[in-house]
Amino acid sequence: MKKRDILLAGGIVLVALVMLLVMHVTGETKGDQVQITVNGEIYGTYPLEKDQTIEVTEGEFHNVIRIENGQAYMKEADCPDGYCKEQGRISGQKQTIVCLPHKLVVEVIRQNDTDSKTAGDELVPDTIAK
Amino acid sequence: MNFKKALIVCLIPAFVISGCGKTTKEEVNNTTNQETLAQVSGQGTGQDTEKTESSGTEASSDDESQDAEVSRDLFAMDTYMTLTAYGEHAQEAVDKAAERVEALDALLSTGDENSEIHQLNQKGEATLSEDGGYLVERALELYDKTEGAFDIAIYPVMQAWGFPTQEYHVPDDATLKEKLILADASKVNYDKDTRKISFDRDGMEIDLGGIAKGYTSSQIMQIYQDCGVTSGLVNLGGNVQALGCKTDGSKWKVAIQSPDDTEDYLGILEIENQAVITSGGYERYFEEDGVTYHHIIDPTTGYPADSGLISVTIVSDDGTLADGLSTSLFIMGEEKAAQFWKENSEKFETIMETADGKLYVTEGIADSLTTDMEVTVINK
Repeated sequence: MKKRDILLAGGIVLVALVMLLVMHVTGETKGDQVQITVNGEIYGTYPLEKDQTIEVTEGEFHNVIRIENGQAYMKEADCPDGYCKEQGRISGQKQTIVCLPHKLVVEVIRQNDTDSKTAGDELVPDTIAK
Repeated sequence: MNFKKALIVCLIPAFVISGCGKTTKEEVNNTTNQETLAQVSGQGTGQDTEKTESSGTEASSDDESQDAEVSRDLFAMDTYMTLTAYGEHAQEAVDKAAERVEALDALLSTGDENSEIHQLNQKGEATLSEDGGYLVERALELYDKTEGAFDIAIYPVMQAWGFPTQEYHVPDDATLKEKLILADASKVNYDKDTRKISFDRDGMEIDLGGIAKGYTSSQIMQIYQDCGVTSGLVNLGGNVQALGCKTDGSKWKVAIQSPDDTEDYLGILEIENQAVITSGGYERYFEEDGVTYHHIIDPTTGYPADSGLISVTIVSDDGTLADGLSTSLFIMGEEKAAQFWKENSEKFETIMETADGKLYVTEGIADSLTTDMEVTVINK
């Protein structure tokens, strides 16, 4: 009986550890992140601190988002206008890259910006007019 | 046994918590950044969790529901839009607003064969809906006020450049000349009472796109108010309009995109109950033979406006006006625009950047703008 208890406990702990690892790997970590949505559905959330390439293939379209040096940009896209590739590198709160034909949005979600001011007394926008 | 129970008791909440994070993420695809952040980071405070709940159907106590944020993203009018509202009626308000956006899009889109405007352009005459009629009325009024800078009849010229279809090319002089004759809003006949519209010349076509989004954001503010919402913010493809203040009583902070660097801002403007609408050549453009051509066409030349301005922001409580004036002032250039503001300073304020990097701000909002740039204040 006691042995089984320990086995069960060990099993649960193992599952918990695996889940923690999965959450970690899938990018659910602290810090500034970008969230990718496709047609309003969240595709994934990725930390900006880790250089990585995210390929989004949905149906007939294909986008490649690259995170590098704390900034995200659209590296490749097979949309007809290609505007998403010209929207630069983003890292500031509320900044977005939008690929309209693919209904794909990359948006920065910053960790410490719930207050209106961050370090350096920088004003953090609620939205961006452009 | 006790150890086992204790373990299970400890671990079940852990599973539930992480599971919650997942489902919330999937279910609430129109969730807010702040909520998502709370879920993702696992650092959601009690208040954040309340926000997510109260943005659903459950009613919560007054204090919590006052701050509850509901945000919805949608793709309409060829842009990406974010509609946000706060308080206990936020969900209803945002849903109604989204419906209204879709309806206006269906009515006004030049590209949609079933739209009122498309049919008008095909037949050369129509009886407009209330929305269409109101917009034509406002557009013709703006045409007069801006001395032709705002011209809804520019559409045939836009087509010659390939802007609506994104099949860009520089039109030849003969084509431009021919299309420019059609681009004359003074040849649009509109009767306010019957809402009947017709064109004096065959081949004329109109596009209300220059004020449609501003009108839409104003309409959303009205819907928010009708639903009992007192705080909200919309961003329709870069066109911003705010209702009231933020829930903490502070003003909304709207960053103005820098025209020459997508990562940078011209500054951050603090507003309440106003629309902030920016126009610049950087929004839509193409290159041919090494020359860049942008989408703000000067109705007098038929070519992209070359007034020395690279960015114009209009701040006004009237979204329709702000939208129409942002392109108009861009076409006018700094001097004429400043003069125009002096004559209409009770209706709007403006922030303009010239190609040589100077920032001009009208006196009414000079104190509300935070910027690293050197500012020239325009006084009455």
